[in-house]
Amino acid sequence: MTPTSLISHLLEPFGYAFMQRALLSCALIGFTNGFLGTFIILRRQALLADALSHSLLPGVAVAAIFVGLSPGGLILGGLIAALLVALGGQMLARNSRLKDETAVASLYIVAFAVGVVLIRFSRVKVDLTHFLFGNILGVSDGDLWISYLTAFITLTSLAVFQRPLLLTLFDATVAHASGIRVRWLETGLLALTVLGLVASLQAVGVLLSLGLLILPAATAYLLTDSFPRMLWGGAVIGLLGSVSGLFLSFFANIPSGPCIILLLALFLGTAYIFSPNYGLLTSLLRKRHFHEESLERWDGHQEHDHRFPTSKD
Amino acid sequence: MIAPLLKVEDLTVCYHRVPAIHHLNLTLEAGHCVGIFGPNGAGKSTLLKTIAGLLTPETGGVRIGGKRVEERASRIAYLPQRESVDWDFPVTVEGLVEMGRYHQVGLFGNFSIGDREAVRKALELFKLEPFAKRQIKALSGGQQQRAFLARAWAQAADLYLLDEPFAGLDRTSSKALAEALQTLKQHGKLILVSHHALSEASNLFDSAILLNGELVSIGSIQEALSPLHLECAYGTAIYSGEHHHPGV
Repeated sequence: MTPTSLISHLLEPFGYAFMQRALLSCALIGFTNGFLGTFIILRRQALLADALSHSLLPGVAVAAIFVGLSPGGLILGGLIAALLVALGGQMLARNSRLKDETAVASLYIVAFAVGVVLIRFSRVKVDLTHFLFGNILGVSDGDLWISYLTAFITLTSLAVFQRPLLLTLFDATVAHASGIRVRWLETGLLALTVLGLVASLQAVGVLLSLGLLILPAATAYLLTDSFPRMLWGGAVIGLLGSVSGLFLSFFANIPSGPCIILLLALFLGTAYIFSPNYGLLTSLLRKRHFHEESLERWDGHQEHDHRFPTSKD
Repeated sequence: MIAPLLKVEDLTVCYHRVPAIHHLNLTLEAGHCVGIFGPNGAGKSTLLKTIAGLLTPETGGVRIGGKRVEERASRIAYLPQRESVDWDFPVTVEGLVEMGRYHQVGLFGNFSIGDREAVRKALELFKLEPFAKRQIKALSGGQQQRAFLARAWAQAADLYLLDEPFAGLDRTSSKALAEALQTLKQHGKLILVSHHALSEASNLFDSAILLNGELVSIGSIQEALSPLHLECAYGTAIYSGEHHHPGV
């Protein structure tokens, strides 16, 4: 294969309008969800996001019954269903002995079951695989606009409230005492999560959307000790993973959604093993004897002698 | 007349309608390091949390420099208990201290030279410069406490509230923390520390508060922790049934 034909082979996907839209949509959703993911991971709400993603189904089904498969209707339906589950979970937890996660988990399972039942009554066909993994190659211009808008809303609000959000994530009690409106920020974060999930429904489905929320941010978390780097790192990993996953699926002729997730999982696995600070390999190879504190004590006693003993001494 | 830095008036705080502190009154001035003593359940943590604005009083209230707590939120530094902090959070010591400047800097503002200087000064004051770039988990217990004190300093707090900060610290770390508290006192701050060991009181603090659900005594160490007062707080045990032998 000559270099020119290799390039034209690689550029082949760009020739199709549906592929251009798919790439753009993937890039937008990957970047936005990767950015938002940091907040979800640090609040330890990965499983809550999972619950919410499944609770969109009855809303989507009701929307499909009454207004068909219009993007606006689906988004509104999904949004209402997820908010009902999130708020309902809070209410159950406050008014009974049940803890948050039990309440939300119970509600989302019920919601999912209701959704599956309701789908039977829909005039248009709603495919469950489609709900879970979307149909990236069938992205319309309308869907793309929704992605633009969601990316804009999410990234702007997270950027604007980055500092109070950081304080809240780090220690909500102290943030509250220092006058930050913690409740509002937490609710806003929840709303953005739901918006992100619903808006990417048509393109990538809830499961892939969730994967793009969790996996890139988790990868970045293993790689850095800096909050801003984790934010932007998650976004970039999400973007790279989804775009290259889409390419891979095109050439290997496998479904794009699972392909993207598996690629992101590969990134996470690599970070898990090889991360310079927190990797499995690093912790196995680290010299046990020179514990941080004993090293420090040594340092204290040997103020003017900077020669550290090596393992050979 | 200048209002006292801390004034607590007729303070009652309840958990589920059960009072933990009854009608407490006290006034404290700047430039003191005050130990709070008392048996378990005497309301030490409750008092600190209420002053920090984390609990809502049933009666009475707290005034900081004559103002309500909410108006003075940024001048109060409450040091969280160790277990309530996520030590894996992606933040370095320097990043933690920078958080203290956020309310001055605002949502968008860049860190000015003054802000940078305040962060540097805080790191220097609490001897944290060598660890500035470390993630907060890679510190010893005492260094972690000092990192939070440095954040409070950068925040320009006047009132420092510490809940059992010496618990679980080794001797070297305790000494460094005690020195840090003295530094704060010399800079005219007011420091309130809940503490369990009476024996160390005179080394660490210049005055003491003795609690047992209500105020037993307040004043200099000798006065507040006199045998008579200690008998009142620990002996006639309302809360510690073990030592209570009615009729014996």
